[in-house]
This record gives sequence, structure tokens and C-alpha cells, in this order.
Amino acid sequence: MKKILLALFALLLPVAAQAAGSVSLVSEVFVERTETNADGRSVTTRAEPDMVVPGDNLVFVLNYRNDGAEPATDLVLTNPVPDSVSFSGTDDASAVVSVDGGETWGALAALTVAGADGASRPAQAADVTHIRWVLSQPVPQGGAGELSFRGVVK
Amino acid sequence: MNSSMRMLASVSLLAVATSVASPALAAGTASGTPITNTVSVDFRVGGVNQNQVTASDTFTVDRKINLTVAEVGSTTTSVSPGQATAVTAFTVTNVSNATLDLAIAATQLSGGTSAHGGTDNFDATALGIFVDTNTNGAYDAGTDQAMSYLDQVAADASRTVFVVGNIPLGRATNDVAGVRLSATAREGTAAGSLGAAITETSGANTTGVDTVFADTNANGNTARDGIHFAVDDFTVLAANLSATKTSRIISDPFNNTTNPKMIPGAVVEYCVAVTNAAGSALATNVSISDTLPGTTTFDSSFGILVNGTVTSGTCNADGTAGGSHASGVVSGTLSDIAAGVTRTVVFRVTVN
Repeated sequence: MKKILLALFALLLPVAAQAAGSVSLVSEVFVERTETNADGRSVTTRAEPDMVVPGDNLVFVLNYRNDGAEPATDLVLTNPVPDSVSFSGTDDASAVVSVDGGETWGALAALTVAGADGASRPAQAADVTHIRWVLSQPVPQGGAGELSFRGVVK
Repeated sequence: MNSSMRMLASVSLLAVATSVASPALAAGTASGTPITNTVSVDFRVGGVNQNQVTASDTFTVDRKINLTVAEVGSTTTSVSPGQATAVTAFTVTNVSNATLDLAIAATQLSGGTSAHGGTDNFDATALGIFVDTNTNGAYDAGTDQAMSYLDQVAADASRTVFVVGNIPLGRATNDVAGVRLSATAREGTAAGSLGAAITETSGANTTGVDTVFADTNANGNTARDGIHFAVDDFTVLAANLSATKTSRIISDPFNNTTNPKMIPGAVVEYCVAVTNAAGSALATNVSISDTLPGTTTFDSSFGILVNGTVTSGTCNADGTAGGSHASGVVSGTLSDIAAGVTRTVVFRVTVN
């Protein structure tokens, strides 16, 4: 019985990448819901994405850790936004985004896209196709960090 | 990426272009669609590029049941007393992210305020529900099929549904018959038959496809019950005819036209005035039949004038020749009488 439970847990848990190099990476998704409680206060909760319908707010959380014996440098984490998800922002000011499938990168405010009439217009969050973090500091042995961004299920 | 996915992508791009604030389509990502997020990291150790490391996480989009029913247009359907095949139309839309069967039912209001402010005070008869089979937006008897459910309505698809009934005779202007059309979400897995009832996934979430009711409480509906309805109504616009008959003496054989008296041989003019009250429906095919008193004789030299007018209660001599007389009965057919209009039939008799 315990074995079965463990196996189930293994299925439920996000897949941790093999530490092929010395940096390991875990990607997780949570559904964020805001509800008004009995006191009239709005309460935001994060839950496993078991119950997800269009319009739900998602939080994508990326965890990295240097499992190697040496410091890792020049870390570049790249996350394409899934097809059925509309990017809605990140709290992390160091992130850069792409609105053209990863060809060019920059702050969202600096990017433009071609509008329906062919004219260029400022890019919006929903135009984002990729998000990327370029870490300027080396990650020491055992060092870890968490990055996140938000999206909405289309 | 297959062609349907490509279409989805282009549609969502359009949506972005027109309304950036709401990226989601009405129905959104189809139920059961897996969403996989993949992240990769490139890095160096000791100044040497290492193999890229990736990680991913997948979840499944659950089924969001939402549907809307709305009347077509925003006005009541104007009907006549005795009208057969009075039609009011509704649009039923599947706003879910899955294909559904939609069970359809029409019920009559029983009193209370109807959709457009009037008070429901009668029922239409022989109420039927029809789908706009030829999708032309208008009810076509014999073509549009009677039904009790809409089979396999795709996500974001909508159908036009007609509620058709007969209006009883004797109803007056501004009588209202309210009709409620409700749609209930049912499983849409099999074609040609109404699918099973749908229940929300209760208790703990599952990692499979769960079902969530997301319909709103707009217009008196109950939120999150998988049912949505709208109310429309039939409002009677009847003709309201009244007739008055007046007479005046034209002449007698001794005084002629100067202060004539009602003596044998006197000529009397009758005027039948038919008035359609203000605010009423156009009255058509109005015919008058008047049996002469036995002590009078129809004056065929004067004949019959129809469609004359009345000024301040007095008939004018401005009709046109028409009507007929046979066996002591004068008959006349009037042109259509609009609301607030009076038309007359004028004829003369001689007192025996």
C-alpha cells in the first residue's frame, strides 16, 4: 500500500529534471484564486492545477539549484509561454520577454508588434511568447533560487 | 501544429489585436487539453558551456459549463387576437469549452412582470419550440424542425430557437403573454440523442477532467446550475372598433328641404360611422350590414356612399359610391381603418 501511495505521489509531483549538468530545475504551476471571505476581505489562495478552466489565473514557478561542486555562471533560464496560456506578467523586474517567438528580447515596454492593420503598436502582456531570466551573479555550490510569472488560461 | 490548432492561434491573435484586456475566448481552451510548461536553463561551470537542463509540468484543462439564452432583439412581439403562428426568437449559445447537448424547454409565465414591463395576463396556445434549421434567422413553418434539445452544440456555437404559439381571440391591446425559454447543459458525447444530465465535480479535485458550472445569475437566473433562461413576450395589438348610427331628415313632400318633418314620403339620411380607437392595430376587411326598418324604402337614386369622414360628430357628404342594397339590407365594405380614424357608410331612405 505504501509503495502504491509513493508511486502515486511520484506521478503527482512535477517532474524534476535529471541533473545532467550540475544545475537542477523544477517547473511547477499553481492556480491562483481570489475569493471574498465571510468578513468581506478578499483572500488569494494557490492550489495545485487539478481544477483549471479557461479564465483561471496561473502562477508558473521555476526553481533552480546548483547541485554541482563548482559555481555555475551565466545562467539563462528560458520559458516559452504555453500555447493555451496568455502571459499576464511577472513580479520579477530582471526578466526579459520576447513577443516574436524568442527572436528578440527586451522589457515589454520596449517591444512592439505588428497590429491587425500592419502598423506597429506597443506590445502588450498577451503578446508575450517567451520569458527569460539572465542571471548576472554566479550561483554558488548549493545555491538556489525561485522565479515566477503569471498567465491566464485561454 | 495541425490546421485546427493553427486556426485557433490566428483567432487568438485577432482577439489580442482587438481586445488586449481579455485574452480568453468566450469558450476558451477546449476541455481536456493538456497545457505543458517547459523551462530550460543554460549555464557554464568553470567557464565551459554545460548541457542544457529542462523541466516541464503538465496539467489538464477542465470542463467549464456555461451557456446563455437571450431573446433576439429587445422588443416584444406584437400580435393580433386570433393570430396563428405568433413567433418569438431566442439565441442559445454554448459558452463552455466543450461540446454539449442543450435540453430546451419553453414555459409560459403565470402573472408577474414580463420581459418588457407588461404584466403577463394570458397564455398563448399550442406552444411549440423550433430550431432555425436553415439558419436564416426567420421562422419557416415546415422547414424549421420542432425539437426539445439542441444536439451537439460545439464550444462557442449558438443556435436560434423559435417559440411559436397561437393567440386566443378576444384579447385586448396591451395584453401580454410572457414566454420563458430555458436551456440545460447535457452531455454532448453522442449524436442524435439527448445526452445524460451533467453534475459538477463534487468533493476533492481530481487530476482528470473535472466539471465546473460557470453560468451566471444574469436576468434572474441562478448562478452555477448549468441552466440558463431568458424571457420574451407576445403583446396584443388589437383593433378597437366602435360604430355609431345617426340620421337626419333631408326633405318632406310639403316643406321640401326647409324645416322638413318626419312624415310619410320624407327622405331620411342614415350615417353609420366606424371608428378605430387611437393606439389600436390597423383594422382590415371591415364590412357594414344594416337592415332597413320595414316602414322605409331604400333611396336608390341617392345610392350608397362609403369611406366618408366625420367632422365634430357630423357625417360629411364626402364618401365615394359603393356598397350594395338587396332585400332591405344595406351592405358596405370599408377601406382599412388606421388607429384614430373614422370611416362612414351613408345612404338614404324614404318613409313609407
